Amino acid sequence: MHDHDLDRRTFVQRTGAATGILALAGCLETDDDTDEDEDTGDPSNGDDAVPRFPEVEDPPAAVYRPTHRESMRMLEPITAGEYTLAPMLSYPHPFWLVTGGAGEDDIERVDPEQGRGVHMMFTLWDDETGIVLPVDTSATITISQNGERIGSPHSPWPMISQEMGFHFGDNIPLEDDGTYTVDVELPPIPTHTTGDLEGRFTDSETVTFEFEYDRAFREQVVGGVEYFDESEWGERGALEPMDHGHDDHDDDGHHDHDGDGHHDDDGHHDDDNGHDDDDGHHNDDNGHHDHGHVPYSALPPADAYPGTRLEPTDEADTDLPRSGDAAIFATLLESGSRLADGDDQYLLVSPRTPYNRVPLADMAMQVTVERDGEPVGDADGTRLVQTLDSEYDLHYGASLAALQSGDAITITFESPPQVARHQGYETAFLEMPPLEFTVPEEP
Amino acid sequence: MTLPDRSALSRRDYLRTLVAIGGATALSACVSESGAIDIPAGTDDPDSLPDRQHAWNDSLSRDDDGNVQPPDHHVLVPLALLDEPTDETRAQLEDAFRTLERAYEWSTDGLLFTIGYTPAYFERFDDALPESVDLPKPTALTASEDPAIDEFDALLHLASDHSQVVLEAEEGLFGDHDDLNGVAVETDLTGVFERLEDQRRTGFVGAGLPAEHTDVSGVPDSVPEDAPFFMGFRSGFEGSQATEDRVTIEDGPFAGATTQHVESLETQLRTWFEQDSHPMRVRKMFSPEHADENLVGDVGEKLTTTNGLTDERIDATEADARRGVVGHAQKAARARDDDGPPLLRRDFNTVDGDRPGVHFLSLQHGIDDFVRVREAMIGDDLDVMHANNGILSYIFVTRRGNFLLPPRSLRALPRATPQ
Ligand code: HEM
Repeated sequence: MHDHDLDRRTFVQRTGAATGILALAGCLETDDDTDEDEDTGDPSNGDDAVPRFPEVEDPPAAVYRPTHRESMRMLEPITAGEYTLAPMLSYPHPFWLVTGGAGEDDIERVDPEQGRGVHMMFTLWDDETGIVLPVDTSATITISQNGERIGSPHSPWPMISQEMGFHFGDNIPLEDDGTYTVDVELPPIPTHTTGDLEGRFTDSETVTFEFEYDRAFREQVVGGVEYFDESEWGERGALEPMDHGHDDHDDDGHHDHDGDGHHDDDGHHDDDNGHDDDDGHHNDDNGHHDHGHVPYSALPPADAYPGTRLEPTDEADTDLPRSGDAAIFATLLESGSRLADGDDQYLLVSPRTPYNRVPLADMAMQVTVERDGEPVGDADGTRLVQTLDSEYDLHYGASLAALQSGDAITITFESPPQVARHQGYETAFLEMPPLEFTVPEEP
Repeated sequence: MTLPDRSALSRRDYLRTLVAIGGATALSACVSESGAIDIPAGTDDPDSLPDRQHAWNDSLSRDDDGNVQPPDHHVLVPLALLDEPTDETRAQLEDAFRTLERAYEWSTDGLLFTIGYTPAYFERFDDALPESVDLPKPTALTASEDPAIDEFDALLHLASDHSQVVLEAEEGLFGDHDDLNGVAVETDLTGVFERLEDQRRTGFVGAGLPAEHTDVSGVPDSVPEDAPFFMGFRSGFEGSQATEDRVTIEDGPFAGATTQHVESLETQLRTWFEQDSHPMRVRKMFSPEHADENLVGDVGEKLTTTNGLTDERIDATEADARRGVVGHAQKAARARDDDGPPLLRRDFNTVDGDRPGVHFLSLQHGIDDFVRVREAMIGDDLDVMHANNGILSYIFVTRRGNFLLPPRSLRALPRATPQ
């Protein structure tokens, strides 16, 4: 049996050697000396000597800029079979689980059990196409030290964060300093795949990597946290995707503020119109990867999709209509499309985060069609199937019998994306009212 | 084998640890710890015992709601035959079992036991098992598992509320112990079977027992005090269990037999208790409605003789999945048919290998029933994220075995086609 309090003290002592950095980052502030934005009911803030985790008071029910930018250590990506996996380690920190339902009561904040340990993340992508796999895989992680397994096997959560996009992750408590070995078992991927991805990902693979948990690591990840000016906290907008793999393959573990693997330009996006799809700056991450480069899970911008783009019935002041702040792109691929059955058309719905175009996985949605006020097809609606396509990436789709211009298409969100959330995403994509679209006139 | 440090453990935990260790030294430590307890004696009249080996329910104690309660302590002893079965070894085995029945009452205060035979055992016979017995070789049932398969010949299941009894019975059959509760051991199993120590499995079940194991790495302090099972809830309500009749093979030469599946799994309790909230655990274990309507209570104390699943809720499984979360019991209950639930679950907790887990032991008419229910539990047909698909993301299957539990009259090295 271990003593949590003792652990905390040891941790403080150890990290205390890096006080210069810590003080800069404000890490050792405790509940007493932080402002009212601190979640005071929570003992894991401050006194664990993990960086403090201020929350935004009354954040918008939308994507917002978090209070700080996390820092992390990137490990070398590992290839196994068809997959490449890039592990990333940060300090244990809160995140949110969606508890299966809609509305703000259905999200639950998860605090780390102890300060000692890591927040372990990995991005998984297809080595051939470079597509990040935002899939619901039942991966299993086992951790060992000196050949002895630590704890029980464990399934990481699928998560989204503004900087990392879609990834898998969890907080993992660790007691001792030293080298840890991680085995990640990847079972076949159950997600429906199409295009060049059809018939792929049918083998199980195991990826193994090691990491060092020590003072240098803690100094790096704790010292690298960047707190934003309080005036920006909670602003609508998002952090830029992380510029992975350029400057962070450190082995020395000594990092200053500039070396923690994120853009230092203050290029956050504001919530003005039209930024949903046209920034395109990381779109080139799809399709290739050089050694050590970790792709970001950005969907193609709206204008990269073929077909007849459906028009939102209600005037939207954003480029794409939003539901629960999720940007919803919908297009109708003509019959003959490889995705459609027989002579049907194919409705492709691609929900994504605003600003960074991160795919919103693990939703359930259905569509109903009305022509002149009368239901067409199944009045109860047609379910859209979550699909991963080599060209269109993650989307939800269904074959539909010939639609006509003027048809009203209602997309109903039975469940919002069930993926876990990092700060800045936990108040968005929860309550998602239906959206209505119209099939436009032939051009 | 070194014994655990007595002073570091509670009495119950010490006894549990001794069962896990097994052997003569553990037995004598157990006897001196338990002191002289009165174990009710068995019977000289084998005909007074039930024909079915799996007829335990009439001899089990009941909880306040009237549900049968499993015995506290369990040992699964894997056995490999040393030689091909002969009439002589059959007689030796039967004698040894009768010794156990003379020594201990057929009850949780005494001893309950079964012996089951694997498909690998029956392969030695020229004839295949009769049609009436469905006993295929076990296979992996989920995409994420790569289980070891029980390929030895037989599995002995010993169960009692007294750790001393399971240890003593095992030592009487395989060790030097020659006195069982005042009955002299004249025949044991030496020469017939070899005990496969490295695959021996042990466990426990009962309110409070799981919470005594927070010293084991992977068992968080947050395991509820009163929980009978590691994952924190009561299980085995009468309404969600098959009857012994239902799981009994009625026809053919093995009439009175049943099949047994043992799925050994590890559990991830840290994330279950430290990350999921209680309502979330209720959703994932029972159904979303159980959480919304607060039907369960802390550990299931609000439930009585059923798990509270209405037909309506079971039918709503698919819709609940699309709303985000689906419950384990809800999903599994989809496999009920006109005769009710097909499985008689007799699973128990374990800390074998110093890791929390479950030996999920279940009895059913044929292994196909087990597979059908397990598939309902996997829910490949459900549109739900793995992490919200019942308890699937908290359990990790390590081993599977299928067994035939013949009727008592055929329990000693049966032929594939008994006359
Ligand atoms: C860690 C492992 C497991 C735990 C903790 C667990 C726990 C539970 C609990 C608490 C219930 C609800 C109470 C009850 O109905 O008695 C339940 C029901 C059930 N479980 Fe499990 N279970 C586990 C594994 C399994 C496995 C591997 C199966 C195999 C198919 C299974 C099959 C069932 C069935 C059939 C029901 C009852 C459904 C009905 O009411 O018809 N369980 N389980």
